[in-house]
Amino acid sequence: MGPRESISPETIASAFLERGFVCTGEVATTLYLAERLGKPLLLEGPPGVGKTEIGKLWAEFHRARLIRLQCYEGLDESKALYEWAYGKQMLYTQLLREKTGELLAGAGDLDEAIRRLGGQADAFFSREFLLERPLLAAIASDDPVVLLVDEIDRADEEFEAFLLEVLSDYQVSIPELGTIRAKRPPRVILTSNDSRDLADALRRRCLYLHIDYPGFEDELRIIENRVAGISKTLAETLVKFSQSLRKTDLRKQPGIAEVVDWALALVVVGAESLSRETLRRTLGALLKNREDLDRVMSELSRFRS
Amino acid sequence: MIAGLQRFFDEIRRAGVRVSPAECVEAVRAVEQVGLEDRERFRQALRATLVKRAMQRKSFDEVFDRFFVGPARGRGRKRGQPGAGAADGARTSTRSVGVGPPRATLATTPTSPPERPSREGAKRKSTEHVESERLERNLREVREGRRQRWGRLRHVSVSRIESDARPELDHRVKPALSDLRRPASAEQERELARAVRRLVERIRLRTGRRMRRTRTGRPFLRRVFRDSLRSGGVPFRLPHRRPRLRTPRVVLLVDVSWSTARAAGLFLEMAGEFLRLGRQTRVILFVDRPVDATEKIALWLGRGRDRSFRELLGSIEGLSLEAPSDYGRVFHSLLVSPRRPRGRRTVFLVLGDGRTNLFDPLDWALEEIAEGCGASLWLVPEPFASWGRGDSALPLYLPRVDAVVEAGDLNGLASGVAALIRRL
Repeated sequence: MGPRESISPETIASAFLERGFVCTGEVATTLYLAERLGKPLLLEGPPGVGKTEIGKLWAEFHRARLIRLQCYEGLDESKALYEWAYGKQMLYTQLLREKTGELLAGAGDLDEAIRRLGGQADAFFSREFLLERPLLAAIASDDPVVLLVDEIDRADEEFEAFLLEVLSDYQVSIPELGTIRAKRPPRVILTSNDSRDLADALRRRCLYLHIDYPGFEDELRIIENRVAGISKTLAETLVKFSQSLRKTDLRKQPGIAEVVDWALALVVVGAESLSRETLRRTLGALLKNREDLDRVMSELSRFRS
Repeated sequence: MIAGLQRFFDEIRRAGVRVSPAECVEAVRAVEQVGLEDRERFRQALRATLVKRAMQRKSFDEVFDRFFVGPARGRGRKRGQPGAGAADGARTSTRSVGVGPPRATLATTPTSPPERPSREGAKRKSTEHVESERLERNLREVREGRRQRWGRLRHVSVSRIESDARPELDHRVKPALSDLRRPASAEQERELARAVRRLVERIRLRTGRRMRRTRTGRPFLRRVFRDSLRSGGVPFRLPHRRPRLRTPRVVLLVDVSWSTARAAGLFLEMAGEFLRLGRQTRVILFVDRPVDATEKIALWLGRGRDRSFRELLGSIEGLSLEAPSDYGRVFHSLLVSPRRPRGRRTVFLVLGDGRTNLFDPLDWALEEIAEGCGASLWLVPEPFASWGRGDSALPLYLPRVDAVVEAGDLNGLASGVAALIRRL
């Protein structure tokens, strides 16, 4: 893959397919529009349907650096945007103590000393002491960048509001340094597992794409693409099995990523069918919860049928 | 295109999807990027920009399907069968988007008949649209006599509802002429005109309603005495007046906007035949306002159709073919006009798709006109599947008239004429 001069939904879909990602028409069209309109893209859907993967592949597609901001509760500006390298500042202060002494030598009073230091203090609040966090790194980058804001629904609402500001103008204000504007606006992809409702304001600034679990045919194509050496029969059987699991109220329904992992596990153990023994040995790749495992193993005939 | 999309935005807002002006602008930009050639891509572009929550997707898709009817949608008729053809897809979608050549590719182009929809697909679609269902249910009840009338409406002729409603024209009309939206050669047009002439001839030969009701006319009381005196009253005979043939007045109100152009041409042929037969006929054409074109059409016919139908329309003063159709305004103008159609012997005949471009439909104005006439009839040159969808106000208009006929093809037109005859 590489940067495309004449980008189209078809080129996006085929490039993604080269990397083993089955890209539906809707995904390809929405990525194309995000590129053409210069808008952030909000991907929403259940876990494990390939939202993050799209971000990674989008970066590869453009031969751009992927900068990922993993959101979590309590994430704030200092972790997402920038912070001053306090330790480094302290170290430099210690090392330059003698130099500082020389600078202050002969200062008659406190005002004089402060005035002399004032001219020098800016050195400690320069880009050299600035720790760029993902958002600033994406904005300040000279090279093309894809900024992946992953699982934005995990972050606090305050952070969401802050992000809104950044995404509006692609600029940040650092009091000590002034405003830093993006030389080239980064391509932004936000993902959400829909665990909480995002603000309308944020949604409005983005193109929106809801990705659901794929249908049987699509999932089969994904498995065949991602898992080399899997037999058609086994692939069909495990996809059917996974789809039937999604129709039940398990605590955690298996996503595509888990199904791929499970398929890989089945290939590794040389399974040819979904026998009870094979399932017992490999189902941990698909289901990540003890209760779900027990339930599926106890009602195996129901899911296999 | 923007006007068409704006109507879609209004529609989607009514469906509960909140769309800001900024999102509308984004949607237009997105559509510019993907074009109109691929319907699914067009849908994806609108969805990516207008839908912001998973729960809104269903509403969006419903409105989209209703507003931009796809090529596969139809009524499940066989190809080549009268009434099948370019049909509703091209009509609704092209009109809704409202731009030049690309829009034809959004749905079915008139020259390529659509694929026959699957029965399951058609069934699913029909259940999606409650309004359409309601309209159909009302029309069916009226037709089957389970309901005396729906508003004023007493007679319904819709092919989807009554498959047996096609009169004897089936065997003599060529399939090429069956769909009024399909382009036709000059020869086909002439053949169509001849077929219309035959239809109108049937009207001329038809006796009046009053004559049909009583074979002998009303009692002639003055002659009772004269005849009785002659015979002394034995045996007593009750003489009757000889019934007079009463000529009905026909007022044709014809939508000549481009969306109904071909059907309008056909109806003007019919109007011309009425005029030729000496019926008291008025022909009122309209797009956004009514214009009485009776004299112009009579003159045009008198000169042996010396110019094309479109040229004729272009020469009629006050008729703006580029304007958006505004039925409400037309009905209201007619209602307050000193030449408002009225009288027991007047048959008020409307030809149009009822697409108001979201202007106020003013259906009460139609009702008042219809109440003042002996009979009112609406001929819809659109397939039934499109009725009430998009900006169509037919569900509001139809209860106000006495009869409605789906006249999307010549057979439909024949049904319409038959219905008209019944009311003459």
